[in-house]
Amino acid sequence: MIKIAIAEPSQMLRLGLGNMLRELPEVEIVFSTDNLNSLNARISALHPDILILNPQLYEYARRATIRAEFDQLPNLRFVGLISSYCDSQHLKQFSGLIELNDDLQRVKSTINQVIGAIQNDSDEPDTDPLSDREKEVLICLSKGLKNNEIADTLNISVHTVITHRKNIVRKTGIKSVAALTVYAILNNLIEEKDII
Amino acid sequence: MADAINQYHSLLTVLPRLGMPLGFGEKSVEQLCAEHHVSLPLFTLISRIYIQTNYFPSIDELRQCPMQDLLQYLYQSHKDYLENKFPHIEQHLSKLLEPMDKKYSTLIANFYATFKEKLVKHFQYEEEVIFPYMRQFMSENVNADSDSRHSNAFREQHDDIEDTLNDLTNLLLKYIPSNSSSSERVDMLMDMYSLSSDIERHAMMEDRILLPYIQYLESQCHD
Repeated sequence: MIKIAIAEPSQMLRLGLGNMLRELPEVEIVFSTDNLNSLNARISALHPDILILNPQLYEYARRATIRAEFDQLPNLRFVGLISSYCDSQHLKQFSGLIELNDDLQRVKSTINQVIGAIQNDSDEPDTDPLSDREKEVLICLSKGLKNNEIADTLNISVHTVITHRKNIVRKTGIKSVAALTVYAILNNLIEEKDII
Repeated sequence: MADAINQYHSLLTVLPRLGMPLGFGEKSVEQLCAEHHVSLPLFTLISRIYIQTNYFPSIDELRQCPMQDLLQYLYQSHKDYLENKFPHIEQHLSKLLEPMDKKYSTLIANFYATFKEKLVKHFQYEEEVIFPYMRQFMSENVNADSDSRHSNAFREQHDDIEDTLNDLTNLLLKYIPSNSSSSERVDMLMDMYSLSSDIERHAMMEDRILLPYIQYLESQCHD
């Protein structure tokens, strides 16, 4: 369950966005507010994963340092709700942006991206090519080895094998071993005759 | 009706499966449903699944729908996939693979064949096991200790099929060398995406309508 808090001065936007978000599975709105009073305290009490915040709530001079206001909450993600022009410098503080014309699909993908960033926090970006180690794991997989057999072959722990597998799936977008085998052959990592 | 289709063109695939032909002029959804003996609540239910990805119908909504007709719709969808959608994709695929190195093209052709085989098996399982099981339930003569295991195997199979289709799409999108005809490939991918999203809806219908409904019927007959 993803916990979301909304801080937006306009009632129309606050309620509207709240209703849209409720359409999404696994989203819970822990609170919504129209002002900054005790925002910090409420966040500390209800610990939302994501704060959807309209930068307009801050007077201009404070907008550049919104994040600093929440220093003591390192895990909180910020999504900007943009209802009028904002300096692009200020927008950089947000992990994602929701704009007035966004439809549900768009809002959903923004939220998902931000959530994905939470889940993959320590991982490398998706665009990296497979590392040498990942290639080795992939080759073993294509040959039909099981996790524990791969661990033995490469002298690593099963846990590490699983991490490599997750990264392979994330980078290639391919889940099944059958398709990964096709990938390995297309990329000349193995020869067809190597497959049992 | 035309307004609905113009706005949500994915509904276009739904009509023929319900036996509703195009060329309906200015008629409304209600009129067309009445004309073709399609239940309006069922049409609404199917359409909402197509349009709202986060729509989970309530049991009350389901009870208003003739489930026999939904089964018929699902059956028609299977037929549509096998008779229209797949041959289309296969045509593109064979043209796409033609200029490729034989050892790669066989590989992909085999992968596709395995996928299709899995899907056909799944359709058969539904048509031969699940659908009759439901029909048996719906015809009042219910055996209270009927075997309810079927409902469980259901969802896993769906995930598996969607994953495989997704894998295939990614292979074709990202990893086939670029020397093969690009318009052919774009057409093929477009087909794949539309097939994926349709199969996804199809699975949603089964997971969000059929499954809860079976469970509802099961719970009713235990009372």
